[in-house]
Amino acid sequence: MKDIIDFSNILLPFLYIITFVFYSYDFMKGGKRFVNSKRLFLFLTIFFHLFYLLLRTIYFDHPPITNVFEIFTVLAFAISFSYFILELVTDIRGTGPFIIIISIVFQTISSFYIPDLFQVKEVLRNHLLGIHVFTALIGYSAITISAVYGFLYLTLYKDIKLNKFGLIFDRLPSLDVLEKLSFYSAVIGFVLLTWTIIIGIIWLPKAFPKFSYADPKLIGTFAVWVLYGIGLFSKIFGKLQGKKVIILSILGFVIAIISTIITNFLAKSFHSFY
Amino acid sequence: MKLLAVSINHRTAPVELREALHLSDNEVQSYIQKIKGKLFSEGVVISTCNRTEIYGIPVRQDLTHDDIKNTLGNIKSVDYLQPEHFQYYRSDEAIHHLFSLATGIDSLLIGDNQIFKQVKDSFQIAEENGFVGFLMKRIFDSTVKAGKRAITETLISEGAVTVSYAAVQLIEKIFSNLSKKSALVIGAGETGEIAAKHLSERGIGKLAITNRTKERAEKLAGKINAKIIPFEILKEQLYEYDIILSATSAENIILGKEEIKAAMKKRNYNPCVIMDIAVPRDVDPAVKEIDYVFYNDIDSLSIIVQQNLNKRKDQIPKVQNIIEEELKAFINWYKSLDAAPTIKNLRDYFESIRAEEVDKNKNRFSMEDQEKLDIITKRIINKILHHPTVELKKYAESDVDSNEAAMKISIIKELFGIDINNNKET
Repeated sequence: MKDIIDFSNILLPFLYIITFVFYSYDFMKGGKRFVNSKRLFLFLTIFFHLFYLLLRTIYFDHPPITNVFEIFTVLAFAISFSYFILELVTDIRGTGPFIIIISIVFQTISSFYIPDLFQVKEVLRNHLLGIHVFTALIGYSAITISAVYGFLYLTLYKDIKLNKFGLIFDRLPSLDVLEKLSFYSAVIGFVLLTWTIIIGIIWLPKAFPKFSYADPKLIGTFAVWVLYGIGLFSKIFGKLQGKKVIILSILGFVIAIISTIITNFLAKSFHSFY
Repeated sequence: MKLLAVSINHRTAPVELREALHLSDNEVQSYIQKIKGKLFSEGVVISTCNRTEIYGIPVRQDLTHDDIKNTLGNIKSVDYLQPEHFQYYRSDEAIHHLFSLATGIDSLLIGDNQIFKQVKDSFQIAEENGFVGFLMKRIFDSTVKAGKRAITETLISEGAVTVSYAAVQLIEKIFSNLSKKSALVIGAGETGEIAAKHLSERGIGKLAITNRTKERAEKLAGKINAKIIPFEILKEQLYEYDIILSATSAENIILGKEEIKAAMKKRNYNPCVIMDIAVPRDVDPAVKEIDYVFYNDIDSLSIIVQQNLNKRKDQIPKVQNIIEEELKAFINWYKSLDAAPTIKNLRDYFESIRAEEVDKNKNRFSMEDQEKLDIITKRIINKILHHPTVELKKYAESDVDSNEAAMKISIIKELFGIDINNNKET
């Protein structure tokens, strides 16, 4: 089984890259050549990734959420899976390359550095940790997707304002749709981050003796949560809209990434499992 | 194949002549009655604002433009038709031209998919008037197939290629659902009317018209079920509209940056699309500097039109491949109607049945009788096929009415499933 896990670990970045190539070719060339096959390939990649995650869980006797590189592979899966569902529901097929590339980055880093951990700390086997990490991962996937759609909104907005009618204009859905996709993804991300924070506040002080409210990841997550809260409520109450909400969403994503880097690779924190 | 196509089109005749020759559906019907049996035994007449074309099996080989002119002259009084206004296509070339027409690559506006519908409608009129025979029916089927393939397999009809459609395309890149949006059309002239109709067709939620001359606004509003805004209070009402489409003949700017700025403030900076398709422009181009204002004038819309036309031109080789494939398929089908191969196929078919049955049952006979069985069954087959063979040979040797021969051969092939057998073998 270990050989299969190792082989899958090497294969996964390539599968995401091939899927990305399919989506990019379709984006660049248009036409109907890969309209359905690219979606099928994405499905197969996600299915294979799920199989890999299950194998890891069974073989190492814990879900792959106990260190940052395990979390990265789950994040890569969650982002592509969320996009796949979004594509099925909305039938908007032109934005795939911009999302899948993020899965490639997370999966490639994970494939390089993921450790073979048979023994994990007892605290990391707690089921509340599972829920905490699960909501955080899906929440971060949602805000990643929100940021990507936000970025695409800004690009299309600029192109239309400057009368640039190129590939972006041809292939992307309307500004309205991009704004909605970004907004709804942000709402999902915000709700899940709220749950993550609530569970964290209840459980973390009990589980970790070194718990601190000054922990960089806690501060970062809280900052992201506040930023999204301001953006979403301002939009709902009609105070902010369009570009401004989108910029807040992208800012939230950037802070989330910086917070992850600082917490996991630079700072010494109880929240760091690297 | 004796098919002949006579075309007067945008390459051969000026617009006045094409307009003068344009036949309405009723006129096409009358024209068919005039030429049926006299000029063509069967055919189709296609008439649009850019062309009048007649396809058919001529009753005589020396048909000239004078014959067409004379018969057309009875319907349309056009005296100045000259030989150079006519293009003639014969046999395969005629089919090729018809396929080019149906796929939109022969149109003035490349990829125009209106022509495909017009071709289908023309065939329907011909059929209703008893002008479509065996061959034309098959030509029609192949034409429809080529047209459909061009639409589904290529991007020949994709993208807006007129300024007013480009405006709608751009609007739809900003707003996803026009039924929830409101639009104001300034100017009730021809351009304003076309734009308003496009918006109405796209299901705009609320449509209003304003014009300096109230009567013209009322006339257009009546046609498309729109609200009328008095021109005097236009600036006060601007903020209510998500889309402003201006197409007046005013000499000066009628909407300045400050007025749009004020309207945007009132609408809480909800996006607003301003399409200025007037020449000279109606709206100050500086409005594009305002956030959430998407301003486009005729020049920027022309960029979209030109890009789309270029993309359509790039698709022409793909469409030509489809035309070649369909033409080849049609010619193969037509060649299969030759009498000589049909005689051979028919005899082979009967012989195979005979041989199979003899082979199955020969053990019931003695060795001596088996030979007799073979001779007798062959004789029966020869006798059965004698008359059909003689008739088919007549078709092969005569050239008087090849269309009728083709039809009869086709029936024989269908009745005995000769094509099916051949396909199985290949």
